[in-house]
Amino acid sequence: MLNEFRKTLTKVIHLRSIIGYNGMVFALKKTPLIGKLLPDRLYSTRFLKVIFWIFHIIVEAFKLFIGKIFSLGIIYLISLGLKTAYMEYEQAAGVTETNLFASFALFLFLIYALCGIVLRRPMFKCTPEKEYLVFMLRMNARKLDNTLFIYDLAKLVIGYLIAGIIAALCGAPFWLWLGIPVLAVFIRLFGTGLQAFSFRMKNKRHKPMRSSFIGWIICLTLIIFAAPFVLIIVANGYYVPLPVLFVVSALLIVLGIFGFKELNRFDSNLHRRALRDNIVRDEISEYKSKQDTTRSFKKIKVKGTVKGDKQGFEYLNALFVKRHSRMLYYKPVVFTVMILVIIGLAVFAYVYGYYRSFGLDSSLNMFGRNLLNLILFGHYEDTLMPYEEDSAFMFFRWLVQYHLPAMLLLLTAADNSFKSTQAMYINCDNSLMTFSFFKQREKIIKLYDIRLKQLIKVNIAPAVACGFGANLILFYTGGQDYPFQYLVTILVSVFMSIGYAVIWLSLYYLFQPFTTSVKVKSGIYTGVSVIIWVILSIIIWIPVHSLILAGILLVHTALFVFLMRKLVYKFAPKTWKVKS
Amino acid sequence: MEFVISHLVKSYGAKQVLKDVDFVFEEGRIYGLLGRNGSGKTTFFNCINSDIDINSGEFYFSGNGGEKIPVMPEDIGYLVSTPTVPEFMTGREFLKFFIEVHEEITPDRTIDEYFDYMMVPEDDRDRLLKDYSHGTKNKMQMLLNIIASPKLMLLDEPLTSLDVIIAEEMKNVIRSQKQGRITIFSTHLLDVAVDLCDEIVLLHNGRLEPIDKSNLGDDDFKEKIIAALRDQDDA
Repeated sequence: MLNEFRKTLTKVIHLRSIIGYNGMVFALKKTPLIGKLLPDRLYSTRFLKVIFWIFHIIVEAFKLFIGKIFSLGIIYLISLGLKTAYMEYEQAAGVTETNLFASFALFLFLIYALCGIVLRRPMFKCTPEKEYLVFMLRMNARKLDNTLFIYDLAKLVIGYLIAGIIAALCGAPFWLWLGIPVLAVFIRLFGTGLQAFSFRMKNKRHKPMRSSFIGWIICLTLIIFAAPFVLIIVANGYYVPLPVLFVVSALLIVLGIFGFKELNRFDSNLHRRALRDNIVRDEISEYKSKQDTTRSFKKIKVKGTVKGDKQGFEYLNALFVKRHSRMLYYKPVVFTVMILVIIGLAVFAYVYGYYRSFGLDSSLNMFGRNLLNLILFGHYEDTLMPYEEDSAFMFFRWLVQYHLPAMLLLLTAADNSFKSTQAMYINCDNSLMTFSFFKQREKIIKLYDIRLKQLIKVNIAPAVACGFGANLILFYTGGQDYPFQYLVTILVSVFMSIGYAVIWLSLYYLFQPFTTSVKVKSGIYTGVSVIIWVILSIIIWIPVHSLILAGILLVHTALFVFLMRKLVYKFAPKTWKVKS
Repeated sequence: MEFVISHLVKSYGAKQVLKDVDFVFEEGRIYGLLGRNGSGKTTFFNCINSDIDINSGEFYFSGNGGEKIPVMPEDIGYLVSTPTVPEFMTGREFLKFFIEVHEEITPDRTIDEYFDYMMVPEDDRDRLLKDYSHGTKNKMQMLLNIIASPKLMLLDEPLTSLDVIIAEEMKNVIRSQKQGRITIFSTHLLDVAVDLCDEIVLLHNGRLEPIDKSNLGDDDFKEKIIAALRDQDDA
């Protein structure tokens, strides 16, 4: 029997090591740049496999340390702290130091172990090595599960015995640090038996096992609610007497025996079925998570068509926008509405404040007159709403005057260009790229131009709203510094939003980074995106007068669009394609 | 007109998938490209369609006077085994768009006549393409390639997973479209290749090799193909 156990365990650990090693090599080979340098023979290099094997053993030992020695060691150290405090403040009269320590340690351990029952990963969780061994190599599922269970118990006992050294150093009685590992085995038997029982009952109704997520919630809630009471008990010098803890432990040992019996009657077929149910569950969750990446792009409006005389690519784009209107416009519209609501609230506060200060007649008269002034001459009388020269308003005015690049932050939140390119790829280009006409230079640039205009249109409303918001600050803090400053502020915002549309659309055409699950899988695309973000985050901090900024942006936008069109025209026929 | 492939090589890292491919395909014939799983049939098509870069070699059309004519994207029609279509359009909208962007083509039929020709059911024509069955998507893809009328038609296992009726309809369409162009039809189904194609070409060990039918009957011909694939595999 021992020989069988050793053989099975060796197979499992060997397989785990192979899966781990091959997985690591596979991941390395998929890494940009490094991956291409690595030869295929890495998969069969014995030397590296041995190194990985050693690494695997170290990780196992580390897990042992973290999971067992560390947790129980902490319990012993907390018990030592509590015992010392109780002794110092003479809180536990008539109890020996050793018993008090044992009482705390056993109490904390029982709570820890009971939480463990709820939270522990199901014994029947189907790991990759279990799947290979049971369903491909036809190994007996019960033998495998039991072997791994015994291996786990052995690790548990060894870990807890090592942790016992801490207990011995803390002055714990020998029965405690020898008894806790034994008690732990029975509690584990009880917990796993409970899982088996639960599955056996559920299996009758053909239901697979549930994940321990609910267990986490229960435990967390218990801890949150229990913590104050435990603190009160400690603060008042209470403790759970040892005999009570012994009774609980004895009860758990009895339950552990029942658990053992339950595991004994859990036959090979049930083991196999439990593992299979867990595979199914994993596949479903994997399927769901895969679906998630493209699901938001599949919300296509069925109804509606394009009216008018649009033809060819204009027709294609109009249809695309029509059928994806929610996806394309939702974010910019929500952003615009939010900005307009904020502007509305600010105007209301402004008017209401004036009404409170000067009364209705006076305020109507003054408001109307100043509105006329504003429309005709672009400024209003200072008496309208006095503001403090040194107030925070002046900081915002300074921002609008000299730090308009900071508006990039707002425009980043409003910009929908990246998501739009994802939708273009997954719902349109991905399929059309298999047709030769779609790869013709002239046609590529034609569609690029149409789409660029479209993205600029989508972004323009939030950009104008941001410009209005900035102008409101300007208006409230004394009006414009030079003629047409309000207009210039709006133009700056619009130019910046155009920049976003050009960047994301051009990057998409030049690097086409998306996979069929709409994930970005292009090192260059990611690298260029990072560089752009770094540049933008530097630009935000550069002070520049709004008029100069408008001039720079005007030239920049024209040059940028020209350059990007040239690049797309030259390279996109080669780069804009389905990622293989 | 001929389609000439000369010393075409394609490698993925150290693995050479296509090794010095040399072949001449003639106009008006359907070539059955046979190969075992993983032999590189799709890679070969992707190279010709310029979806992936080749390592060396060239391919071109050879005019009747023997002059080299470069292959342009519009010269190739490529039918992939898993058809992908723009899901947000209806079949009719897609066809309308497709005809409009091919300004060089003067359609000889109305949209509905095209649908009729491909036997696309009437109630499907105004539905979104995302709701089409696999077979109807395949038919749409074929129809678009027929309208585009390319010089070279690459069909990558187009009959895979089609029901027998649609597969038969597709075979008839492929036969009727072979005049005036070169059709290369990849498959790993021997019966389909023998039934549909004028020539059988094996893609094996990274090379293209024709199998001469001579005076053999279908059964003997199949035996010969299997033997050739087996021999090369053992080699």
